[in-house]
Amino acid sequence: MPETASIKKKFIINILPIFFLLLSACAINGSIFRNKHQAFVSDDFVIVKTTAQDTFSSLAAYYLKDPTKGWQIAEFNRMTTLIPGQELIIPLSPFNKAGLKAKGYQTVPILVYHNFSKKKSDKTAVSQNDFEAQMKYLKQNGYHVVSMDQFLNFIDYKVQLPEKSIVITFDDAWRSAFDVALPILIKYGFTATFFIYTDFIGGGKALTWKQIETLSKIGFDIQCQTKTHRNLAVPKKNESLKEYFKSIEMEINYPKKLIKSKLNIDCKYLAYPYGETNNLVIALLKKYGYRAAFTIDRKPNPFFVDQYKIYRSVIYGSYDMDNFKNNLSVFKKTELK
Amino acid sequence: MKKSINVILIIVMLSLFFGWASPVDTFGDDSHKGPEKTQKNKSVFHSSYYLKKAMTYKNKDELQLALFYLKIAAALSPSDMEIDGKITDLKMTIDRKSNNYLKKGEKFLNRNNIEEARNQFLTVLRYDPDNKDALEYLKNKLIPKEYINYTFKQNDSLKSISNKFYKDPELVSLIVYFNNLKSDAKPKPGKILKIPVLEKEFFQAINDRRQDLISANKLLKEKRFQKVVVITQKILKNDPSNKEAIKLKDEALYRIGIQLSRQGKYFEAIDTFKKTTPKYKDVDNLIQKAIQHELLKAETLLKEKKYEESMNLAKKILGHDKSNTAAKKLISTSFCQQGRDLLIQKKYDEALRVLDKADPAEFCVEKTRIAVKNTIKQQAEAHYIQGVKHFLNEELQLAIQEWEKTLKLNPKHDKAKKNIKNARSLLEKLKKVK
Repeated sequence: MPETASIKKKFIINILPIFFLLLSACAINGSIFRNKHQAFVSDDFVIVKTTAQDTFSSLAAYYLKDPTKGWQIAEFNRMTTLIPGQELIIPLSPFNKAGLKAKGYQTVPILVYHNFSKKKSDKTAVSQNDFEAQMKYLKQNGYHVVSMDQFLNFIDYKVQLPEKSIVITFDDAWRSAFDVALPILIKYGFTATFFIYTDFIGGGKALTWKQIETLSKIGFDIQCQTKTHRNLAVPKKNESLKEYFKSIEMEINYPKKLIKSKLNIDCKYLAYPYGETNNLVIALLKKYGYRAAFTIDRKPNPFFVDQYKIYRSVIYGSYDMDNFKNNLSVFKKTELK
Repeated sequence: MKKSINVILIIVMLSLFFGWASPVDTFGDDSHKGPEKTQKNKSVFHSSYYLKKAMTYKNKDELQLALFYLKIAAALSPSDMEIDGKITDLKMTIDRKSNNYLKKGEKFLNRNNIEEARNQFLTVLRYDPDNKDALEYLKNKLIPKEYINYTFKQNDSLKSISNKFYKDPELVSLIVYFNNLKSDAKPKPGKILKIPVLEKEFFQAINDRRQDLISANKLLKEKRFQKVVVITQKILKNDPSNKEAIKLKDEALYRIGIQLSRQGKYFEAIDTFKKTTPKYKDVDNLIQKAIQHELLKAETLLKEKKYEESMNLAKKILGHDKSNTAAKKLISTSFCQQGRDLLIQKKYDEALRVLDKADPAEFCVEKTRIAVKNTIKQQAEAHYIQGVKHFLNEELQLAIQEWEKTLKLNPKHDKAKKNIKNARSLLEKLKKVK
């Protein structure tokens, strides 16, 4: 008898609480302390009467299956904050892929950084403090740093991007980008694309293959910037057309193969050294399967930009915050009516 | 036991309160899962609100938003035919407006006003985001292409196409490369070829080259060969494998070579012929002919006994044709003849010095050398005998002179040495007696 009593006691203490716990959690469905929001769902949209628990992100997670698309709901409803009881519309597909409005169209700036320094900045080397201040400004002012693939889908007229979208890129593969810029990018949760020219890798001030592999593994995008960083658009002195053609073919093909073999990454994008290109280079890029290529023309990009002449703005070490802000234009004013 | 029950109760209350294991359904509402909920909630939302919004957007010329809100209103009031009518009207307006802007855009494009054309197409897309024509203009037709698509015709060849687009048949390699063809390929008529469009700068260079080639051709016809060489060298500096330039340069050099040959400037002709591509036309023969002419000159000089000039000429020939045996022979012959002449002039030492410069393997050299040496020997003996004759006639001074001549020709002539010594001794004695 005492044995039976002991088993009962053990059952009551150990098993029953777990049973009740599961039962209560599953059956009650969390509704006692949560207001259910009311919704009307069609194939193209959802109408929602929000509750205090709703956020743009939670609504996007639930209806768009992507919590990062809260901006899509906010922008469609032209709101910045949710008020409980408010009716709002959730479009279930992109409603303005090109960001077109009666007074103009959306543009996406792409920033280019090269070298960094811990303390002082110079022409191309941006100081740690300046970079931190620039990233902080983007974060505090509602800029969405999007990936290169997202940007390409935007210019392919496939997806809509947040109104204040921006892309961050790094050229050449300076080691300082890893040492100085990377911790700041991670701090602000920003993604970026690193364009590397392969002859530079492993040099004194350059990234190593190991560091590039690390960048890739933690989610940063690795892309090509030729083999030797030669100007692709200009034949060298006494270089015949045939020699020039052979050389640029190698500049385009070699790094793609090398990056594939070293990191198993497919180079889809190429940054032109010195930002210069010509039709022969573009024809070769297409032949070798590049999806897009980047200049350093200081302009933001509309969706109809030439995919092989995408604009980027170089951020120099000498820039103050006003210079930096001048490169963040996300809308081009023009009458579209 | 009591204590245990209390613990259980606390746990149950807590679990009720927090709903720890509830599913991810944040909104506690599964209305999205089926039409029943949708219908159930319809009464919560009012179509009139969305109809009003639609009209506001319509008035603001935001027609896509207006249409979207009309569709919402229609979904909330499916039996409201008035809303359906408004949707139909708005769609027609959108179609009309987008068509108008598309036509306007095409007009601007025809006038080459790209910027304005683009704005019109963007406006089309703003009204009608799925308008494929506007999208095609914006994403493809308005962007300069690096290729031209060319349909291969019956009478075309890759070279003729290269000539047509680049004004240079040599750039056929670009067409071959970008179309994955073999260099000798003959595509079937109707095949679409990608022809890379070269930038103005490239084209300018090619165009300049083309102009230079035209000029060079013209100058060749005008027989201004030196000018042809200068122009083609300029082309080949930037494009060393330009076949047309190479051909023109070869022809110009060939003609200059012939002209120089006709002027008797054979060495200059040879130098010029040698600047052509090896084996160009009959340059090798012409070089040999020019050499023959120079050899003849050298032989003539030899006949005229202008040995130095003849030999210099022969050496110059060897400078152009190292293995020329005739020139080598000519030099030896010159030395031999010069040696023989000096022998006749009784300049035996000089003759031997000249013969020392010649190739000893040459037969005439050795023969002449032996002749000189024999002559020297004979002359020495003749002077010796003459000396003996004078000695017998008691003409001691004359005898000494003859023997000295013997020694000069043959310093090892012991008898002459001995006789001179005796004769001088006798002369001393006679002097004392007197």
